[in-house]
Amino acid sequence: MQETKVVVLSEQDKAQYLEELNNGLHRLGRFLLVSGIIVLSLVPFLIGMLYGVSPDMTAFLAGYAKVAVVYLPVSLVEFLVYTPMLGVGGSYISFITGNVTNMKIPVAMNAKEIAGTTVGTPEDEIISTISTATSAIVTTLVIVAGVILLVPLQPVLQNPVLLPAFNNVVPALFGALGLKYFIKSPQIAVIPVLFMILLCTFVPSMISQTSVLMVPCGALALAIGFILYKKDKL
Amino acid sequence: MNEYLSQVNAGSIYLIVALVLAYITVMCLVFLLKSYRAGIKIGMDKKVLNKTILSSATFTLLPSVSILLGVVALSGTLGVPFSWLRLSVIGALQYELNVAEIAAQSIGLSGLRLEEMSIGAFVTIALVMTIGILGGLFYSVFFLKVYLKKIQKSPKKEETGEKKKPGFGAHATTAMFIGLCGTFIGAYVGKAIPREGSDVMPLLVAIMAAAAMAVFEFFIQKKGKAVLENFSLAASMLIAMAGAVLIGLL
Repeated sequence: MQETKVVVLSEQDKAQYLEELNNGLHRLGRFLLVSGIIVLSLVPFLIGMLYGVSPDMTAFLAGYAKVAVVYLPVSLVEFLVYTPMLGVGGSYISFITGNVTNMKIPVAMNAKEIAGTTVGTPEDEIISTISTATSAIVTTLVIVAGVILLVPLQPVLQNPVLLPAFNNVVPALFGALGLKYFIKSPQIAVIPVLFMILLCTFVPSMISQTSVLMVPCGALALAIGFILYKKDKL
Repeated sequence: MNEYLSQVNAGSIYLIVALVLAYITVMCLVFLLKSYRAGIKIGMDKKVLNKTILSSATFTLLPSVSILLGVVALSGTLGVPFSWLRLSVIGALQYELNVAEIAAQSIGLSGLRLEEMSIGAFVTIALVMTIGILGGLFYSVFFLKVYLKKIQKSPKKEETGEKKKPGFGAHATTAMFIGLCGTFIGAYVGKAIPREGSDVMPLLVAIMAAAAMAVFEFFIQKKGKAVLENFSLAASMLIAMAGAVLIGLL
């Protein structure tokens, strides 16, 4: 690492330095995100080109609309809540590398606690960026090692005996996730869950419409949550 | 080997994914070095900076292994390299699977089922998964600078003695996920009702996953084993998936 000159800064200089540091991180972060968006979006097209197929844009738009209705508000809430905890550099790194709640936030908070930094100082910003960047790099390395181990296991993973497991990965997800969220707020959960069970029991054609039904069901849960929140019952 | 699976597990896709991940990792390294140098410049102790790197690396190890379990869970229908990419950047297991299921239904499949998959379906599903998760990135590109400046400048409110009520934001996310899970659970119950085309397996798998999660939650909440939090979702899913294999064999 190249030698860097150490300077002792007054409080005013520190504020000025924080501004400069943040501006640099914003420039770098925006470049990372914009280039990341382009590179990631190209991947499905590149894979398609290998086999002479391209994404079905009508189906893409239909699918995206359903995804956006749920995930644009969720990611807005995440953006508003998490970025102040992560700081400038930490936010850019976390949003491109993912696993924000389960990894980046705890890592950044833990590192700041160990270093004993105060919010709004250059030290805090620096520790936050270093911790999230380290975390992202380590995750990538661990997963690379795991994937290298997974490759020879391919014939085992593709054994037809395992087909019921992989065909039911979505029910496994919603069973586990459902329990976690239902016990978190049973008072929000009871009506939407009962409503969906009754609907799918008595109107079987609705069973294959989950991707559409999750919008009104989510809205119903939100409305119940909001009423309970207003009444201080949450 | 199934033709579709050999296509999505081709060496060329591994190469594409490896290049994308290498680029993002190098960028993270640039952030790391830039911040490290800035720390030295303003007189921070090198020991503190090195300790931050070490503690963050060790803190990350366990959750990273759980992400790897997610790669195993996704790889059966989407192949290893694309699952590897999705869980290394931006995504998280619950998002990826849910969106893949929505995308599969949008192109006319009954869901994310291996026997219905083709490479054409795969690229459309992959595109929905990729673009669908970009919300946080767009918000950051356009609003992060303004938002954080505003947050940092807003004067801290005086403590009034009375605790301020937390906002609805956190509850809103919980409510949205409850709606999401409720929709699928309702569909699995409907599917299990004995009639033409019924299938009890999804409901059984969901129940097994919920039971496994209940055991994890018991140890996390009541016994203070917070470390299990990192594994509870992926491990519950894998336990339920193993149960599906056993039921399939019976």
